[in-house]
Amino acid sequence: MTEAVQNVSQSQIEVENLNLWYGEKQALKNISMQISKNSVTALIGPSGCGKSTFIRCLNRMNDLIKNCRIEGRVLIEGKDIYGPDVDAVDLRKNVGMVFQKPNPFPMSIYDNIAYGPRIHGANKKDLDGIVEQALRSAAIWEETSDRLKSPALSLSGGQQQRLCIARTLAVKPRIILFDEPTSALDPISTSRIEELIMNLKKDYTIVIVTHNMQQAARISDYTGFFLMGELIEFGQTRQIFHNPQERSTEDYITGRFG
Amino acid sequence: MFNRNYKEKMIESVLFSVSALTVVILFLICLFLFRNSLFLFNDFSLLDFLTGRFWYPTSVNRQFGLLPLFFGSLIVTVGAILFSVPLGIASAIYISEIAHPKVADFLKPFIEILAGIPSVVFGFFGLVVLVPFVQKTFNLPTGQTALTGSIMLGIMALPTIITISEDAISSVPSTIKQGSLALGATRWQTIYKVIIPAALSGISAAVMLGVGRAIGETMTLMMITGNTAIIPSFPGGFLESVRTMTATIALEMGEVPQGSDHFYALFAVGSVLFIITFLINLIADSIKKKYRFKVD
Repeated sequence: MTEAVQNVSQSQIEVENLNLWYGEKQALKNISMQISKNSVTALIGPSGCGKSTFIRCLNRMNDLIKNCRIEGRVLIEGKDIYGPDVDAVDLRKNVGMVFQKPNPFPMSIYDNIAYGPRIHGANKKDLDGIVEQALRSAAIWEETSDRLKSPALSLSGGQQQRLCIARTLAVKPRIILFDEPTSALDPISTSRIEELIMNLKKDYTIVIVTHNMQQAARISDYTGFFLMGELIEFGQTRQIFHNPQERSTEDYITGRFG
Repeated sequence: MFNRNYKEKMIESVLFSVSALTVVILFLICLFLFRNSLFLFNDFSLLDFLTGRFWYPTSVNRQFGLLPLFFGSLIVTVGAILFSVPLGIASAIYISEIAHPKVADFLKPFIEILAGIPSVVFGFFGLVVLVPFVQKTFNLPTGQTALTGSIMLGIMALPTIITISEDAISSVPSTIKQGSLALGATRWQTIYKVIIPAALSGISAAVMLGVGRAIGETMTLMMITGNTAIIPSFPGGFLESVRTMTATIALEMGEVPQGSDHFYALFAVGSVLFIITFLINLIADSIKKKYRFKVD
């Protein structure tokens, strides 16, 4: 009980009755969820269940999609991010995102990391420090420190993804969204990224969409199970995996469908 | 069975001959062009031709100096680039990144139509509208100037530059764009710091092809640049009449006795033109290839 109360007081993201339509098709149905600060929240569910659509609501990436309509409220640190006074550009500075496929810019490793700080007006003499710190935090400094000027695309896929994480960290967000960050990577790269995510939760609130249930079980504190646009079940990861309350959650987790 | 095989072979060899014909024709044209050019250098030195400051093909003391024609082409082309590159790239950015897809779909056919207008029509329009306008605006004795040619040529190069740049910009993966926006970049920051640099080689190829189009253009320029074979000054030369290499060939070829020095001199001018456009296309092509590789 005390734990639950604590969670509510620490919740950094509160989603209330969120509905989303792509044109006529409703992709999210009445989602409510509270996400705690400095925790890892995993969202699982079969393809097309709305979990990626959902995290794209948290940094308003869905704004880019035409015919996308949203109802309900998403409060981040108490403020409705769909409110009239909120600028999506400022929001995304605080809510970073790492994508499914590594997407470094076609420029040098250094410039990739410096891109965010530069557009947000970082001082030129601070850049070297920011870049080094971001690369260290993303556990890729050792591999890149001697070739910061070489093109980011010359890195391996796993390195590129850690570079993208470093790029996100360099902007100093408070929340980081991961949209299936390891689905394009080999097992070794995947485990490095999982390790990294678990380390990052000390300083950031993390929401991760994943297809990989073992991954959700390994790294997350909370898990939400989506099915056909609805949040079927949400709770502590241990509970979801060991004692799911809903039949469909259990079916999905035990591999009866998916 | 034998019959069917024989038929297949027949069709194959016919198609091969047709495609090979293109190469043969190109080769013959080159041969013809260069062979006729070489006859000029029986009586005149190559150096005099390439560095000669005067083009007096019919005076008693004949001189075949390439420079006035070369610089005529150069100034008109440079002007056209200055006019069309910013305009073309801006349009390409608008169409591929900013415009609503419906607006883009509406604009694109018009750009293609612009490419389909015959050059003589551009020339006629230039002569009737642009020439008097330039004359009045700058208070000149004649509106047939390098500037007039540049503007018209710029308009003619626009479709090439817009279409190819647009292609390059659109093929920048949207994941990169999203990556930039997710870092809190604005749409404009994303365009000019990520998308344009990523598409730069494609855009350069577009510019090179536009230049290639401009250098080879004849009819329009002949109608509106005044055709005075004098080395233009820079930048004042924009308001003077100039004559391009292409216009010279078109104007004089009809008048010249076959087999005369003048006849061969025109071929030599043609060879220079051919070499320039060939190099430009080669550069554009290699840039384009590099850019394809990059996108993969």
